[in-house]
Amino acid sequence: MPLTEQDTAQLRAALQEAVVKCSERCLYQSAKWAAELLTSIPPTDEASEPEDSQMTEIPPSGLPPIVVTGNLDPEEAQLEAKEINQYLLAKSFFDCREFDRCAAVFLPDTVLSGILSSTSTRGPENATTPKGKGKARVSSGRSASKLAPILPKLSQKSIFLALYAKYMSGEKKKDEDSEMVMGPHDGGNTTNKQLVTISRFLENWFQEHTTEAGEVVGSQGWLEYLYGMVLTKDKNEEEAMRWLIRSVHLYPWNWGCWLEMTSLIGRVEDLNRISPHLPQNIVSFFFHLHTSLELYQSTPNLSNSLDQLLSIFPTSPFLLTCLALLAYHIKDFLAADAHFSNLLALHPHRLDSLDHYSNILYVMNLRPKLSFLAHLCSTVDKFRPESCVVIGNYYSLLSSHEKAVQYFRRALTLDRSCLSAWTLMGHEYVELKNTHAAIESYRRAVDVNRRDYRAWYGLGQTYEVLEMHAYALWYYKRAAGLRPWDGKMWMAVGSCLQKMGRHIEGIKALKRALLADSYYDAGVGSSFGSGGRDKGGAMDPEVLLQIAGMYERMEDMGEAKAYMEMCVAQEEGAADMEASVINIHADSQSSDDESRPTGGGTSGDTGTGVTAATSKARMWLAKFAMRMGDYTRAMQLATELCQDGVEVEEAKALVREVRVRLEIGGGDV
Amino acid sequence: MTRFLTPSKIGLLALIELYTEAAVPTTSTIPILSFVLNQLLPSTIKSQSRSSNSSSLESLPFLLDLHAFETLLAAHPSAAGLPGRTLWDKFLQKLWGIDSLNALHEFFANRAFLLAKSPEEIKKDGEMGIPPPSQDMILLSRTSPFGGFIRRAKVEFDRLRFSDALALWIAFAKWRQESKVYCIRRNGALGRWAGDRALEDGELEWGPEATEMLELVAYGNDLDGIDSGAVSTDDVEKLLEFQVEQMQKFGNRIPYEIRDKFKGILEGGVTVPSLSHYQNFLDAWRAGDYPTSFDNLHRYFDYTMQNRDRLFYQYALMNLAVLQADFGCFEEAVAAMLETVSTARENKDMACLNFALNWLYHFGKAHPKFIRGSESTNMLGVEREGLVFLRTKAKETGMWTLWSSSLLSEAKLGMSSGESIATAFENMVKSSQLIVEKNMKSMMGPQMAMSSSLWGRLGVSHLSKEYCEIFLSCHARYALFDDTLRFSCRIAQFLAEKGHYDEAMKRLESMDENSLRSWKANQYWLKYRGILRLKRDLHQNNLDGADQLLSQLLQSSGVDADPDLGFEISILHIDYLIRRTDFSRALAKIENLASAMKEEGDDIALRVKLLVLKAGLQDKSGRPQKGFSVAVRAASIAWRARLIPLLWAAMGAIANILNSLSEFQAAAQILVAIIPRALECETFSMNAHLYSYLVDAHMGLAGKADAGSLKRKENLTRCLEFIDRAFDEYSALEDIKGQCEMMAKKATIMKVVGEPVLANDYASKYLDLKKEAALAQA
Repeated sequence: MPLTEQDTAQLRAALQEAVVKCSERCLYQSAKWAAELLTSIPPTDEASEPEDSQMTEIPPSGLPPIVVTGNLDPEEAQLEAKEINQYLLAKSFFDCREFDRCAAVFLPDTVLSGILSSTSTRGPENATTPKGKGKARVSSGRSASKLAPILPKLSQKSIFLALYAKYMSGEKKKDEDSEMVMGPHDGGNTTNKQLVTISRFLENWFQEHTTEAGEVVGSQGWLEYLYGMVLTKDKNEEEAMRWLIRSVHLYPWNWGCWLEMTSLIGRVEDLNRISPHLPQNIVSFFFHLHTSLELYQSTPNLSNSLDQLLSIFPTSPFLLTCLALLAYHIKDFLAADAHFSNLLALHPHRLDSLDHYSNILYVMNLRPKLSFLAHLCSTVDKFRPESCVVIGNYYSLLSSHEKAVQYFRRALTLDRSCLSAWTLMGHEYVELKNTHAAIESYRRAVDVNRRDYRAWYGLGQTYEVLEMHAYALWYYKRAAGLRPWDGKMWMAVGSCLQKMGRHIEGIKALKRALLADSYYDAGVGSSFGSGGRDKGGAMDPEVLLQIAGMYERMEDMGEAKAYMEMCVAQEEGAADMEASVINIHADSQSSDDESRPTGGGTSGDTGTGVTAATSKARMWLAKFAMRMGDYTRAMQLATELCQDGVEVEEAKALVREVRVRLEIGGGDV
Repeated sequence: MTRFLTPSKIGLLALIELYTEAAVPTTSTIPILSFVLNQLLPSTIKSQSRSSNSSSLESLPFLLDLHAFETLLAAHPSAAGLPGRTLWDKFLQKLWGIDSLNALHEFFANRAFLLAKSPEEIKKDGEMGIPPPSQDMILLSRTSPFGGFIRRAKVEFDRLRFSDALALWIAFAKWRQESKVYCIRRNGALGRWAGDRALEDGELEWGPEATEMLELVAYGNDLDGIDSGAVSTDDVEKLLEFQVEQMQKFGNRIPYEIRDKFKGILEGGVTVPSLSHYQNFLDAWRAGDYPTSFDNLHRYFDYTMQNRDRLFYQYALMNLAVLQADFGCFEEAVAAMLETVSTARENKDMACLNFALNWLYHFGKAHPKFIRGSESTNMLGVEREGLVFLRTKAKETGMWTLWSSSLLSEAKLGMSSGESIATAFENMVKSSQLIVEKNMKSMMGPQMAMSSSLWGRLGVSHLSKEYCEIFLSCHARYALFDDTLRFSCRIAQFLAEKGHYDEAMKRLESMDENSLRSWKANQYWLKYRGILRLKRDLHQNNLDGADQLLSQLLQSSGVDADPDLGFEISILHIDYLIRRTDFSRALAKIENLASAMKEEGDDIALRVKLLVLKAGLQDKSGRPQKGFSVAVRAASIAWRARLIPLLWAAMGAIANILNSLSEFQAAAQILVAIIPRALECETFSMNAHLYSYLVDAHMGLAGKADAGSLKRKENLTRCLEFIDRAFDEYSALEDIKGQCEMMAKKATIMKVVGEPVLANDYASKYLDLKKEAALAQA
């Protein structure tokens, strides 16, 4: 998607404006995001040089004003010009983190309390009317006339800044009020007390500016964003989404707004439902990418669109992170490591999303690298949640779980909505055998973000440890729902079902696990062509053994035998023809079948070798053959077992017995 | 600043590992082990076995750098591996093997393998299928010094927070940086990023520039710079303990350069050990800075309250009392010490109690006025009973120092009240035996001082001086500086008595400058120098100079002045007044002193000295007979108490009185009898006086004989001979007045003999002397 010169210039201008507008409104993170993006557009080298020299005489759009931008709306512009002094005062208060004072510059407490009291008289009425579009309509006639004089006449920018400051002050108070992380009184239920005020004010404001047709006149998107945010905190998600979409239509370059939307989307279906309502521009593209990644999507389509974006912003750290995360989601850890490491070299001071990197390094067990990462983060800023998570991960890898918990806790103290810290803390508590704490922290993780499959899975695991299988099943299902192509989830569901004695369902789930694994591996193989994964298209003998066991329990000996054979066959690897023969035997393994020859070509040594599972299977087969009277087969299997050196005693006993039987049999003949 | 671990400790751990791997050849085991032990063991144990320590270990820097390791290890070949490699190579290999923060974690985790396993662990390992460690390894017992160190290091590392572990890692990287060049030369395989595997691995991926940037971000920009994290609280505490011990042992202040270095170390860390306040207190105390020392003492105890609770309250009080007393707040001091006593009794802290009582006893001796008010509590009963009590208590609780000091006190008490010399000797021998048996080097000073003063009283001044010299050359190293100073002053006094003023002065000048920074010592030193100069001025009859000096010296003789010096100054003041012929004031001064002494029950020797002075004053004022009873009393007391030098002085006074009564024969007999023995005392001024009395006696005898008779002539010749003797003594002392007097006498005799030429000669000599003196004064 190569852009023309003009497009690039336009994009640049838009981004510049976005940075200034966001910082004007103290939306620091959004401004940072936009600025990062802005600098990652490669300069148009040969064309721009002479152009620039010409430009110096008559700057076309000029340099963007750094402190304040003009407003296109003349009315707003006039108001802003009038308020400029107060605005600057308020902004500096905000920068000094004196939020209440900042808010009071434009909206003194008397005004706000007036709004509160006037609306509280409507309290019962409010309660009866369903929240939504209708509400404003119902009370408009009466309250508009009553409220009109109360609302001060201010520019939208000032209102936004004041209300946002109010919001921030509420958040700050909330943080101060909440108890120690996971302390006895830490229910996670302290709320932002300013939300009511803000939402009342905004309600009134929108009411005032809404025409009969339901259009909000002259609004520029920022207030909608704030309203959406407030509604999100109130758990009024449908409504929030509506306002946020409105906001991005009015001003698409506010990344914070898109992030809010992402947090409201729980599953892919939601995303697809929302998509048509979104404006069609490059930011929406970003949003789509980011949200899909948050939902653990990893379709080729996605990587395609990522590539396109990268061609425009080749060095954008955000996109590079996305690239790494994409690789991470399809479990291509090597690639993910490479991407992150590249990112690290490009931006050594950037800590954002390095916690994901530490997860990758943790899984890959790269201790020196993880220690270096922790070192780096700690030197850059040791009081960032990301740094704490990285350090916690490092300690977890060193098996000092208490220390790890300590650092995750610190991360949470710094930012209570730090999702990965909650989940990882849950893992640590599992290691420390503190199941209650583990459940609580997983639960909190899920409350923060329902999309975190690891937390769901962890919950399931913990309940399984506690032998509460029904609960565990429920959580495993949630996890499997989030990652339907991940065999591990299905395996967990399967074994859970098995323990509950629901064998048929269990077998289904386990077969699905087999399917998912091989599908997944095949997918990796096709999209990246890497032979890096040593397991090729092989199936997990454990799962096979489990399936066989369940068939046995159901007294379906034929199936059981077939799966046992398959399990044993995994020793030799996927190239073994015997396995694929039995594959056909099993239903629903067709896709597996197709992938098998491709993997088989390269894998002479992809077999698992002798494992506990295959030995068990072999033993079972030997005993089975014995029962069936197939003594030669039993003899063969038992001697194999002796050679493998697993459960030699039992195998030898078996051999002796077979010999006796054979002799007896021989005698008979 | 970490609590315990420093890069050099990591080095020690690596060295221990080398040792356990049997890489150290048998011949070099001992130097290496003693090197490590020297670092590990607390200094108190080390100081006890000082003799076995080689001097090379003592000269190690406080913070071990790589050079210290290099000098140790480069000399020893390695027992394993390639030939030609030294232990230093192996050691470096180990150090550079720690190539990432993770490797550091692993390094510490692996320390446990160096320790011998407990039986349970071996059993557990056996169950897990882990084979027992090979026999080649030297396993360390868990309770050995090495084992203890390793375990401590491991625990300390485990409790480090991440940022601290990181700081340790960075400090370590800096610490070993200087050996990099050597390593590259030796192995040739170390790359640019050696020491951090992550960087090394990443270089391929990132390229050198980005790697360098990452390195800068991670390590900061001075990898070669001076280390800041190289000192741990543990080190500082050790250093402080040593310093405080030194200060208490020698009574010095901290030398400037060490103090500056110390400040630098303490600035680097956040946690200042509370002991440093104590050190500041000691320093300020020695410096005579009362408010600061007071402040610091309180600060120290405030900070230590939390971890030592009230159990140590009595020590705080004791310190306070000593401090108060040192700065002359005697009432407060006594009050504090009395509270110490009651608290110590309450807490059954016998050591503290005994010390406090001992202090109170000595304080009472020095300042009877202040103790009197509180004597009603009757802590110690009568003096002697108190001492006996202390002695038995000290014996019971095994406080040898207190025991021997109480023995010495008893000896001193006996001596000062003029009791049996034999008893005093007995006590001193007892104490001496105790000191030698228990090797109490610090008690050597008082013991020697007592011996020296005893011999001095017995008139064997040579022996007395010899004791001083012995102390200075043998024991001064282990003793308080105060003792050294006092002994030096004593020697200076001996020298001054013989007229070697310059030598005496030199003796004082050559004292250790740093030790003289201590306020009290400095005061004492200054005063003593003043006294020496005053003596010289008086002898040279430079009365104006003497006046100036005296006015300064008298000014500072308040309550806090040293009693010995105070008496000396008073004597010199009297001498001055006599030379000024202000006899009435001199007499008044003597009377004052005597009455004060009677009240306080001071040393008998001083009282005798005053009596002798009084007799001399009467003589000077021309009424020698009036002093008869005084002189006789002085002589009898001196005889009873065996104060030999004073006895001769008193006898001299009696002879003089006899002269004035024209009992020349008797006087001459007395003098002839005592002079040989008086000469032993080596007090030149007394000798000169005795000779001149003898001259007077012979002169009288000559006068009694017939004119022109042989007897007259004989006596006159003798007179001349003794005049010459007296003149020699006077000129040794540079005593102008005495010299002149002798010259005049000689001229007179010559005239009598009838040799006017010689008489003229002597007369002109007399004038020359006067002129000279006038010139010297101008």
